[in-house]
This record gives sequence, C-alpha cells and structure tokens, in this order.
Amino acid sequence: MATNFLPNNSTNKGHFIKDFSHPIWAARADKLQSLSGIMLGVFIVMHLHFESSILLGKEAFYHVVQFLEGGVFSESGHGYPLLTQIFSAFMLLVVIVHAVFALRRFPTQLGQWQALRKQMQFLPHEDTKIWFWQMVTGFGLFFMVPVHLFTMMLDPAIGPHLSAERVYYDNAWLLYVLLLPAVVVHAIFGLYRVCVKWGLVSQRFALLKLAKIIVAYLLVIGVASLIAYIVIGRSLELPIIPYVPMN
Amino acid sequence: MQIIYTDTLVIGAGLAGLRVAIASKERGLDALVLSLIPAKRSHSAAAQGGMQASLGNTVKGLGDDEDVHFQDTVKGSDWGCDQTVARMFAHCAPKAVRELANWGVPWTRVTKGDRQVIVNAEKVTLTEAEEAHGLINARDFGGTKKWRTCYTADGTGHSLLYAVDNKAISLGIPVHERMEALKIIHDGKRCHGVIARCLITGELRAYIAKSTTIATGGYGRIYEVSTNAIICEGIGQALALETGVATLGNMEAVQFHPTAIVPVGILTTEGCRGDGGLLRDKDGYRFMPDYEPEKKELASRDVVSRRMTEHMRKGKGVDSPYGPHLWLDITLLGRKHIETNLREVKEICENFLGIDPAKDWIPVRPTQHYSMGGIRTNHTGESPQLAGLFSVGEAACWDMHGFNRLGGNSLAETVVGGMIIGKYVADYGEQHPLDINTALIEQFGATLKTEIDQLIEGTGTENAFDLKLAMQKIMMDRVGIFRNGAELQQAVDELSALLERAKNIGLNCKKRHANPELVEALRVKRMLKVALTVACGANARTESRGAHSREDYPQRNDKDWLNRTLASWPDENSLLPTLSYEALDVMQMELPPGYRGYGVNNAISHPDTEKRQQQIDDILAQLGEVDRHVKQAALMPFELPAALRPHNERLSDTLVTRGDKA
Amino acid sequence: MDSPRTIRFDIFRFDPQDPQDSPKMVTYEVTEAPGMTVFIALNMLREQQDPSLQFDFVCRAGICGSCAMVINGKPTLACRTLTANYPEGKITLMPLPGFELIGDLSVNTGKFMRELAERLQLWLQPNADVVNIHGLETPMDPEEAAKLYELERCVECGVCVSACATKQMRDTFVGAVGMMKIARFEMDSRDARSADDFYHVIGNQDGVFGCMTLLGCQDTCPKDLPHMQQIAYLRRKMAQTIPDSNRII
Repeated sequence: MATNFLPNNSTNKGHFIKDFSHPIWAARADKLQSLSGIMLGVFIVMHLHFESSILLGKEAFYHVVQFLEGGVFSESGHGYPLLTQIFSAFMLLVVIVHAVFALRRFPTQLGQWQALRKQMQFLPHEDTKIWFWQMVTGFGLFFMVPVHLFTMMLDPAIGPHLSAERVYYDNAWLLYVLLLPAVVVHAIFGLYRVCVKWGLVSQRFALLKLAKIIVAYLLVIGVASLIAYIVIGRSLELPIIPYVPMN
Repeated sequence: MQIIYTDTLVIGAGLAGLRVAIASKERGLDALVLSLIPAKRSHSAAAQGGMQASLGNTVKGLGDDEDVHFQDTVKGSDWGCDQTVARMFAHCAPKAVRELANWGVPWTRVTKGDRQVIVNAEKVTLTEAEEAHGLINARDFGGTKKWRTCYTADGTGHSLLYAVDNKAISLGIPVHERMEALKIIHDGKRCHGVIARCLITGELRAYIAKSTTIATGGYGRIYEVSTNAIICEGIGQALALETGVATLGNMEAVQFHPTAIVPVGILTTEGCRGDGGLLRDKDGYRFMPDYEPEKKELASRDVVSRRMTEHMRKGKGVDSPYGPHLWLDITLLGRKHIETNLREVKEICENFLGIDPAKDWIPVRPTQHYSMGGIRTNHTGESPQLAGLFSVGEAACWDMHGFNRLGGNSLAETVVGGMIIGKYVADYGEQHPLDINTALIEQFGATLKTEIDQLIEGTGTENAFDLKLAMQKIMMDRVGIFRNGAELQQAVDELSALLERAKNIGLNCKKRHANPELVEALRVKRMLKVALTVACGANARTESRGAHSREDYPQRNDKDWLNRTLASWPDENSLLPTLSYEALDVMQMELPPGYRGYGVNNAISHPDTEKRQQQIDDILAQLGEVDRHVKQAALMPFELPAALRPHNERLSDTLVTRGDKA
Repeated sequence: MDSPRTIRFDIFRFDPQDPQDSPKMVTYEVTEAPGMTVFIALNMLREQQDPSLQFDFVCRAGICGSCAMVINGKPTLACRTLTANYPEGKITLMPLPGFELIGDLSVNTGKFMRELAERLQLWLQPNADVVNIHGLETPMDPEEAAKLYELERCVECGVCVSACATKQMRDTFVGAVGMMKIARFEMDSRDARSADDFYHVIGNQDGVFGCMTLLGCQDTCPKDLPHMQQIAYLRRKMAQTIPDSNRII
C-alpha cells in the first residue's frame, strides 16, 4: 500500500529543497551533470573546429575569431575580446557545476578504488573501461581546464599570430598536448554516455562506434592545428605583430 | 542444538510450500519455511507451459467448466485418482488463477478479434469475443477437451513462483535457506517438526511446530536422466518413510514426458505440441496419427511417451551416440511465435544443442518427468497415520493425478492444493497446541548426529557418488516406461543390495560444515529407500494403468487393482518396504471406470462399475432438469473450506445473460 | 574419430569457515565429452577428483539462476556454458564478486535478493487487498501483460550485480536487478504505488541516480533483459517526479 511506504534512506520531511540532502537533489544532480556535460561537450566540438580553422589558413582563422568576438557589431569590425573573457568566465561556471556534480561519482575511498581496479582486472568490460578513462581524464581536466580558462580571461587575445605566440612562445602547447586528448576522450564518450543514460538512442553499439570515430577525427584535427600553431609560432619573431588580412 | 518454534513449518519453498505458509500467515499464525535453496530457485520455476483452470475465456475454451476439467483429470489418471480430491481441485483452480492475477502474475490475455493458430498442422483462424478482451487466455494441452491451460508466454512457473514468493516476502514469512530437513520428530502418532542440517555451517537445528508440511517436490532424480532439477531427490518422501509410520502412495506411478532434449534431458514444454508442433521419426514422417488418430500428438503424456518408445523399438528412431531419439518439429509455428511464446525452448535449443528451433527439428526422447506418487494424505493434505504431518504438491499423493498426470495439472496442483491444504493447515494450527517434548527432540537430534558422526569418523569404504549412480542406472534400465516382472524383480534385488552397501559409506572429505560429499551420503541412503518403494510397488502391481505400463500385464485391471499402493518402512533395518493397498470405492465415484479413449479398450472391469453406473443414471433421472451443481452434489458431495465454496463465474454466464436481455 | 580434448580448469578455492584456509587457484583436468557443459564438468570433478568442491546448481537448464559464476572473465550461467565454446581448452572459474562467499564457487545470492526485495518492496501492491476470486477477473490490456512478462524474466542470478562496477564500489547501490524490478512494478497498472512512492525508494544515489551507465548489466544478462532501456526509462520517469515531501513548502 502506498501509505505504508517507508523510504529506505532517511528522507526528512522537514528539509527544504535548498538542502542538498533533500531527495530532489538526487534527480537534480543527475540532470545538471548531464546538462552541463552536454553544454561542455557540444562546446568542445565547436571550439576544436573553430580553432582548427587555422588549417584552412590564417585568414580563415582570423575571420572566425572576428565573427565570434562579435565583429559584426563593432565599428572597427574587430569585435570585442571582452566577449571571450565573459564567455570564458561563463564556461568556468559550467565547468564548476559539472565538476561539483560529477565528483560524487569519484571513488572517494581507497576501498572503492581497489574494488574498481579489481573489477576491471577480473571482469574486463569495455564500457567500464571507457568510464574509467573518463574518470581519469575528468580528474585531469579538473586542474587543466581552469588554467586554460584563466589564461583566456586574463589575456583574451586570440588571432592567428597571437594564438601562435601563446602556443609556441608562452609554451601553452605543453598544456594543450595534455588537454586535447583528455578533453576529447572525456567529452565525446561523455556525450555517448548521456545518450544511453537517458535512453535518447537505442542503437548503442552503432553510437559507440560513431563516438570512437569522432574521437579519432577530433584528435587528428586538434593535433594538426596544434602543429600548425607551432609552425606559425616558429616562423614569427618577437615582438608579435597581430595578423591582419592583406586587403 | 538450537530449537526454533513456529506454528506452521513448511519444508520446501516451491509454489505449494509457499502457498501453504501464506495461508497460515494470513490467518495470523506464525509460519516458517525451510529450503535447500533460495525460494525463487525452486523447481516450480521450470514449469513452462501453464496451469489448467476452466476459465473458458478463449473461444476454444467456451463451454468449459469444473465438470469437464474434472472428467479430463479422472480419465487422465486412468481412474487411479481420488475423485473427491479431483473435484476439490477442479473447483478451486479458477480461483487460484484469479488470486494470482492479483498477486502480480502477468497472465497472457485474450486479444479480441481474429488470430491465426496452428491446429493439427494446419493454420486456423480463431475469432475471440469482444467481451473476452483482456481476460486470461488459455492454450491447448494434451489430454484435455478444451483449451484450458492458462499461461504467461512460456514462463508460467517462473511468473507464478516469483509472484507467490513476493507475496510471502511482503508478509514477512522467513525462508531459512540452505537448510535440509533430515528427520521428522514424532512419537508414532503426532508429528512435532523436523531436525534440519544447515548446508553452510553444518549446524543441526530442531524446528518445532504445530504442523509440518512437506512440499519438497518429486523424486525424479532417483533416475539417471530426468527433466527434474537436481534437488528433486525424494528426500521429502524419505523423511515421511523413515518415520516408519507414515505411508507413501502410488510410488510406482512415475510419468515420462515425451519431449525432453537428448542427451541432457531438459524439458521442452508440452506447449510446443499444444501450439501445433509435431513429432517426426527418422524419415521425417509424422507417426502419431497412425497410433492415436484422434488426439495425435496431444494424447495424454503417458500415451505419447509409450507410442514414441514403441516407434523407436520398431527401428524408426534417429540414431545418436546417446541412443535413439525422435524429432520435435516446431518450425511450422513460425519464428515470431517461437521467439515470443516459446522463447525458453528457443534458448534451451540454442544453449544446449546449438540449433535454431525455427529452422531445425529438436532431438527429443521420453524422459522421467513427474512423480504422481508421494506422501499419502487424506483430502485435507494430512497424513492419515501421523497427525500434524501434511504434504502438498508433487511431494504428496493427495491423489488428484492417480496413475498419470495431465499436462498443466501439476503447476495447478501446487497453487490450488496449496490454497486448499493451506487452509486446512491453518485450521490445524488454530485448533492444536504446540506440543513440546524436549526428550523426543534430543532423541531425534542425537540419532541424526550419530548418523553424521558415523559417516565422518567411521571406517566405511563405499563411495556415495558411485552408489547413487548405480541406483540411477537401475531405475533407468529396469523401472522405466515399459516394465516387466523379471526386470522389476532384478531391480528390487539390486536396489536392496545397494541399500545394504549404503550402510558402509565412507567419506573422503571429513569437514562437518559445507561438505558436498556428506550431503550426498546422507541423501543417497534415503533415496535408495524411495527408489525401493517405486520398484517394489511396480513389481507388485500386475496390471497396466496410466504411466505404469507392464509388458507382461498390458491390461488395466479394475477387478484386482483399482486401488492405491501404500508403502511404509516400519523396520528401519529392513532392506524392503512394506506394501499394503487401499481400495478405491467405485460406489462412491462420480465417474465410474470407463474407456480412456486411447488404443484398444481391454480393461478388466470392476464388478461394481455397472451397478454404480445404473445408480448414477437413476439419480440423474430422478433429479430431472436441474443445475449442474445440484447434479454433481447428488452424485458425489465433496468438502471444501467455506471460503472456497462459492461457484466460479465465467464469461459464458454473462454472455448468455446479455443475450437474454437483447 | 579425434581423441577427446583435455580441458584445464583453474578454479578458485576457498573455505571461509576454515581458519587455516586461504584463497587460491587450483588446477584440474577433465576429458571433454560431446555437449559437455561446465555443470557436467564440475560434477565430474566433484565425483571423481575432489568431493569437497562447492558450487550451486539447481535446474541445470538455465532457468533458475543458481549457477552464475565468472567464467574466463565473464559472469554467466555455468549450466548452459558449453566447454566447446573455449577453443583453447582453458577455463578459469571464479565466484561472483559482490556477494557473500559460501565457499569456492558458491555465493549467497539468495540472501542478497531477499534483502533487496524487502528493502525495495519488490512485490505487487494492488489497490484493493480483498478481491473476489470467484468472479470474473479484471481485464488487462494484452499488450501490457506481454510487456510485463518481458520484464519479469529476470532469474535473480546476480550476474548484473557482479558485472556492475558501480555496485562493486558502492555496496548500498541497488544494482540493475533492483531497478529492473521497480520498473516492472511501475509499469504494472495493477500496482497502486505512484511515481512519488517509487522516487522515495530509488530516487537517490543508491538507486537510479547513482547508476553511472557502465552497462555491465546489459552486456552480461543471461536473459538479455533490456536493462539499458529500463533504467533509462526509470531515470526519465524519476527525474520528472517531484517527491512528495516538497509539497510541504
């Protein structure tokens, strides 16, 4: 009978929704983690494409940046780097939300970690392995992403030469070499998991295959564009003069 | 030794046992169940096909009622059953089905309008009534006049067991898992409970109760190949037998199911044939119509099994390394039907045979399947010899099956018998005090402890596993589908010799806790006694009735053998059981012995048969045009707990009323 | 005819009740026979080589769920695992992780399942307690009945629990078996419980919101139950549900 229904974990009638121990936060946390994850995942896919436009030439990248910085609205047509700062701050907020809710997934005790390792050793299982790597990359991203975002907030200058300077002379490539695979793996398999988790897709194995293809593709364009920036950076001399198209 | 007290003690957590425990708990009594395994793993779950209940919702079941179900059951039993019990059963079957619907069983329902089915290898369109839509459906099974077998796809037993166990959990009925009852505590007149051994810790514990109900299923595993779960070893029957007082009824009545797969003996449901599957021989020829032109593949199980054996003996079997077999062909049912309604069959074929039953024929052979015999009880489920000892389900010889059980009547017996006997058990619990005699408890505990000590510390040399296999082979070879005096005598002699040897069992593994070898040793001694009751009963019964088929006595002999075999074991050192017989009174029968409808009608009739028939005709003529219930009551009144007495409503009742109004 | 293969079994042995004993792997050899299953092989081992070997079988036909164990890294039902499926002739058997070990390959799944059923109230809770069992039954949509049976095919073998890394890390997690059953009752029109009631039971970190969708359950279930679909369904359903206790505000 519905009336004799006893909740198994102490669900405290007197608590307010603001209290995170309230049962509604279980649903909310899951939804927010997934939603913030989707936002970040989609953003990453776009981000990697935008920055990879350098592969089509400096001019292409220049226009992409101009456009994204709201160039159409600025009188000079050069846009507002402030937008990058604001956007970076916003993304940082999303990252924090995502991290806060994702952290509850982490094995917090040694026993849990050992159980996980033992499980993976005795019962090898692909999706578990994928999740494990997502967790590891998530842990790494927890430190790397804020560094990247703070950099962008403090120095929002983006452009074919300015970015190349950051990559090559400021040694940002060291960060990017780690950040790129971590973020790609984490984001794409994260998007895959969100799809199966909420039952948005029933063709799981096809989706997983697609995810793997996308991971490979993103890594290729990511690495290629990183190389492109390094090549550009090496060809430049200090002090860097921002790139402006010829005409 | 720890002593645990309860009102209703049940041994066995299958459907029948759980149902009895629930009945007591619902009446406010304390109930406790002992089980070798977790309740939901019980062998009840293996019943794939369904349970018979005369609901008459489907168009092919229209006109069905308790009378037809009763007649089918009695004929199926070859007049060996207790007709009052068959009446009690047929009357309550629809109630059990409806009750189970409320406990969560997702019975397969009738869909209104046309549907295609296979009947006699031909596609037939059935049109279900608008009014029947959503009511409980039924399928065809062997030996029945109407489509009466209610089902949930092909996992009926599973669904039922889960629903009933869930009900037991909701009522907080404890199931002590991995506890094996090994001794009944009794004083020769009254049963007080059991001594059980924990299979994990080896601890011996006494369970003391007002009533003790044995619901441990059949004794199929005394045979080498059986469709039964490996725990169906007849220990429940042995418990009763070892009291020296309680009797076992009709132990020689052992059913062989026509279609178990070769070689492992896993069952493919009768639903395969009920839904239109055919039997074929090595030439791909459908042979059953030649033997049984009317019922063909859907003749009673004992008949089909014998015909198959007969056909293989003519050299028409398919040769295999495991001996000859025949084919079950369900390819004509179509992949969709197989993958929804016969999926368990499909899984079994894929996993154990590596074949696709939608494309390939299935190798099958008749295999030991069901024990009609068991602990003899009266109609309330209580042992006539030992007060407070009840038995229900396959473990019992309540005796609604006589010498052959109809498909779909075993699952039905568990829940219907459990429902009825459960009420009598609860009555018993309300009417009797808990008798505690600690000296008696200690005495039985000590006996069991001595037995275990002797096995572990003794100097025995016999191997328990070897003895068991030897017994199983004897039963397979000499107490099978077709039996004869010479082989049966040999079987009795050999089994007695094994029983003698079993006194000298020694163990390699000396652990007192979790020790599989000790478990085996304790069981094999008991199983041998059960096997002896089967072989001796079969040897003594010089007639053929139902599943008991004697080549040297092919006729059913009502004149001399219209009775029930009772086996007991009064002298524990004896190597043979004591047999006695309980006559079935023709003058009390609602349906006097007649022709069963298979093969030649060669039965030797009972002198009372004609007299009784005349009496029945007179009674009916006197009554004139009256309700069928009145007629029935005039012919053979039967008792039931008050709560189960009301008539069953059927769709046909309301349909007619509606027709009248229009 | 080819001479039969010899199959090598590496079997986990440990008797937790014996203080002298410690977990170890023991190797046995069995001559393969046609159609041999792990059930047949283990019984041969017990009968002929080591009578103390503990394992659980009941139906030996893949329907009772007693015999789940980890076979070469995959949890599955031993009774219906053919030795012929392992061309290398090496089979490693481990008990299911995540359950109390009784000994060797035997684990106490029964106790686990009973406790789970009590904790989650896994039984039908109909509108009316007293029903007329003598009258016509309440009709039910045939499609619904068929769908319920599909979800009810779980045999409580414990494979999903052992294959779930989430469960291994968090002992209180209900696992796929619990969620599958809740989904089954949630879909049953005869059950009186509301989404709210179910939320109280599984709308938490130990329930559907604790599941990390690792899908070990989906990939190993011997009955091919649609765990992924059902858990997703339940998650959506629960995410839309606002628990009763909020209404006090």
